[in-house]
Amino acid sequence: MPVESHGDVELSEPSTNARSRTLNQFLAGVELKAFKIAQAALRHEDDALDAVQDAMLQLARAYADKPAEEWKPLFYRILENRIRDMQRRRTVRGRVIAWLPFRGDDEDDEPDPIAQAPSNDPSPVKKLELAEAMGALEKALEALPRRQQQVFLLRTLEGLDVAETAVAMGCSEGSVKTHYFRALQALREQLGEAYV
Amino acid sequence: MSAQGEQLTDFERRSREVLEESVLRIDGRVRSRLNQARQAAVEAASTGRRPFYWRFATMVPTAAAAAAALVVVMFIFHHRGPQVDPPLANVESPRDLDLLADGEGLDLVQDGDGSGSFYEWAADQSEANGGNETDT
Repeated sequence: MPVESHGDVELSEPSTNARSRTLNQFLAGVELKAFKIAQAALRHEDDALDAVQDAMLQLARAYADKPAEEWKPLFYRILENRIRDMQRRRTVRGRVIAWLPFRGDDEDDEPDPIAQAPSNDPSPVKKLELAEAMGALEKALEALPRRQQQVFLLRTLEGLDVAETAVAMGCSEGSVKTHYFRALQALREQLGEAYV
Repeated sequence: MSAQGEQLTDFERRSREVLEESVLRIDGRVRSRLNQARQAAVEAASTGRRPFYWRFATMVPTAAAAAAALVVVMFIFHHRGPQVDPPLANVESPRDLDLLADGEGLDLVQDGDGSGSFYEWAADQSEANGGNETDT
């Protein structure tokens, strides 16, 4: 049976087990990048994890029967909707909490020993250089409007093309190009030539 | 065409490098949770992908009970057989019923010696007397 390749996913074998394997492979390929995108939007690790988890479940329940090549834009569309819901809920919660007389410390602030363990170990110089660039880029991304941030991450990190990004963002391809152009312009201004 | 295949500027290439590095540095706790979430999603996909009629699975016990009741009712009606009349069904009137209930009255109707009943004898006598009266 011919195997059609699409990104990280091999599309073949119609059986359920093969479908589960393909889905697992697809999710494994997008989960880390999806987490970074959710984290950039929500600025909270656990919220980002929840958003990615919900998006995974919804994709699996509602769209697992769709052709695998459609999964990526669909997954990011679901993730974006979930992020938006969480941001709305957070806004409401923030308004309610602002009225409360006392707010306890967030227990999640405690350092987690597992979380401290880095998964990779590049050379110290490279590590430092990348850490500085990463900090600067993340700070610049935080300052971007949500749509520009989203289009930049989907295009640059996830590698979606214009059409896929348009599906993921629920807008026209023209809007994708406009948002992306503005995002690049804003980031260049903020990060300067030294970044490159 | 994927964005990965497009001509990237130095700025975009550098940004991609930095972002990919930041992905690689995601810690073990997050990776573990994402892995669990993925397993749950794959499990949900394999258990959730059922034929459309599976939605009616909850109605199966009720439907089975109703069908069984229907079969029982049809079986009862079908195998009921010809109606057997009760022993007293041929009794035509209450007067006959009284006669049957009365032991002596029954003796008058059914004479044990086979010579006919008292009523038959009385009827014959009456006809004979009547015939004589008209003749005279």
